[in-house]
Amino acid sequence: MEKPLRIALTKGRLEKDTIGLLESLGFDCTAVREKGRKLILPIPDANLEVVLAKAADVITYVEHGVCDMGVVGKDTIMEMNGKFYELVDLGFGKCKFALAGKKGDDFYAGIGVKTIATKYPNVARAFFEAKGMDVEIVKIEGSVELAPLLELANGIVDIVETGSTLRENGLEVFEDVAPISARLIVNTVSLKLRQQQIEALIEKIEAQLNK
Amino acid sequence: MRYYDLITPEGTKDYLFTECAQRRSVEHRIEQIFKSRGFSEIITPVLEFFDVFSHKSAYFPQEQMYKFADSKGRLLVIRPDSTMPIARVVATRLKDAPLPLRLYYNQCVYANTPQLKGRSDQVAQTGIELIGSDSKLADLEVISTALEVLEACAYDTFSLELGDIAVFKELMNQLHTDEETQEQIRSLIEFKNYPALNDLLDTIGDSETVRAVKMLPRLFGGEEVFAKAAHYFKGERMQEILNNLRSVYEDAVRMCGNGKVTIDLGMVNRTDYYTGIIIKGYLSGYGDEVLSGGRYDKLIAEFGYDVPATGFAVHVDAISQVYAKHDPQVSAHSDVLIFAGEGCEVQAISRAKKLRAEGLIVELAMQDSVEDAREYARQRGIAKLVIINDETATEIISG
Repeated sequence: MEKPLRIALTKGRLEKDTIGLLESLGFDCTAVREKGRKLILPIPDANLEVVLAKAADVITYVEHGVCDMGVVGKDTIMEMNGKFYELVDLGFGKCKFALAGKKGDDFYAGIGVKTIATKYPNVARAFFEAKGMDVEIVKIEGSVELAPLLELANGIVDIVETGSTLRENGLEVFEDVAPISARLIVNTVSLKLRQQQIEALIEKIEAQLNK
Repeated sequence: MRYYDLITPEGTKDYLFTECAQRRSVEHRIEQIFKSRGFSEIITPVLEFFDVFSHKSAYFPQEQMYKFADSKGRLLVIRPDSTMPIARVVATRLKDAPLPLRLYYNQCVYANTPQLKGRSDQVAQTGIELIGSDSKLADLEVISTALEVLEACAYDTFSLELGDIAVFKELMNQLHTDEETQEQIRSLIEFKNYPALNDLLDTIGDSETVRAVKMLPRLFGGEEVFAKAAHYFKGERMQEILNNLRSVYEDAVRMCGNGKVTIDLGMVNRTDYYTGIIIKGYLSGYGDEVLSGGRYDKLIAEFGYDVPATGFAVHVDAISQVYAKHDPQVSAHSDVLIFAGEGCEVQAISRAKKLRAEGLIVELAMQDSVEDAREYARQRGIAKLVIINDETATEIISG
């Protein structure tokens, strides 16, 4: 038997959705479901070894090749960038990046430089750079919605799912920045040195997703 | 103000003992391969004018280059690559030299890499440039040299991958889109981002070429790739490119056996001075390519000398890391320690010289007492202590 493929999963919802997907392919994921405090877990009949990590770490592990594959949101990929193959859009974990602010505000009005509060400074910078627009970016760690309410910022760039948090706080989406969903990423060398193993798994996943 | 006098800048490090030995041993092994094929060494300056790297076809993002100004206010860079400086030398001082030129280098390149990613800003590289021939034999010479390097450096499996940038360039000729879209497509193919590539191409419409571009990143593997490619890729020029690549691939397989050489038609390197066959080498145990290169027939012409060329660079630090995992050898220690009693220094030095002539590594003890010298020999793992006192030499095998 070949060495198991090591796959890093983003802890939380993406982990559960991925395990659901693997179970729908007929793999027994008991060890992952009953993981306790373990961080590396086997799925023997898929010949996989699951590593649970925070989103940004999934990318780091895959980039360095210590994990062959990873499941991570497009939001983290856009913020971190990096060198890896982004082979499959897994379809779950759907939401979007959006530019939002106080309801009724005309964000683009006036000649002043706007201030943007965000947890994703690289995404925000790239978005406004593409528009050729200078903005001031302030990194916020917690509830970004507070920044326009406290008048620290003219707008926010953040993940929006249903938009209910925005509405409840008197904010609204001005513009969509990019759609987000979970992606299967693969280390560039692993794909080449272990092509058959990885392609076989991906074919199964794609077939299931297209059902 | 903070004072940074005890640490090195991010992305750099000091190499100590074993690390040096490992790096030198990798360099030496590869250098022997280059020399045995008639390649001559060339050393270019660490500093170059910015202009050398800002030609239109060379893609070194300015934010990744270390830059500063010289005393006349001209912009300098710390070289991010060795091929461009070598192209400069070839187009100037070597313009009248008989062709082909076989050049090799062994020097560091520098890039301002994203921080906290565990990547180094200083990369030790060694590589070859074969200048003055666009023949298939030149491609095979470079490929067989690369195979020999990988074989000499591999503990486990290695693989050499071939592609041809002309496939992508020909598809872009057929596609008729603007340069910005082409660059987007290139980047999505490079990172095998199938979903985003499909989305982008769907906005262009559906045609035979669009379907071929969609397939491009998926066309990697062994011989079967050519059959698939023939199905999607049309046109006389395309057939010519694929036939050429196939014949080089088949010869490479004949040189090193099956399974070591693979094909990736979706290999579209960022450094877009390449014009033909491109190669990448992988070693198991390292998560990125350890060797990369290809044919760059138009690059030297940008410096005013129109001559075809091909070559590759090897990532020496990466290979040293793989070595360190497999073979964490301890640093070489001395064989003999000589302790000189008072007034016997000259005698001790000449004794050391004699022992060195026999091929031993000999150190002189700098300690004040025999006891301290013995303790030092023990810590350093030096097996033999020689004490020289008043014309008599006592040899002690230290415990």
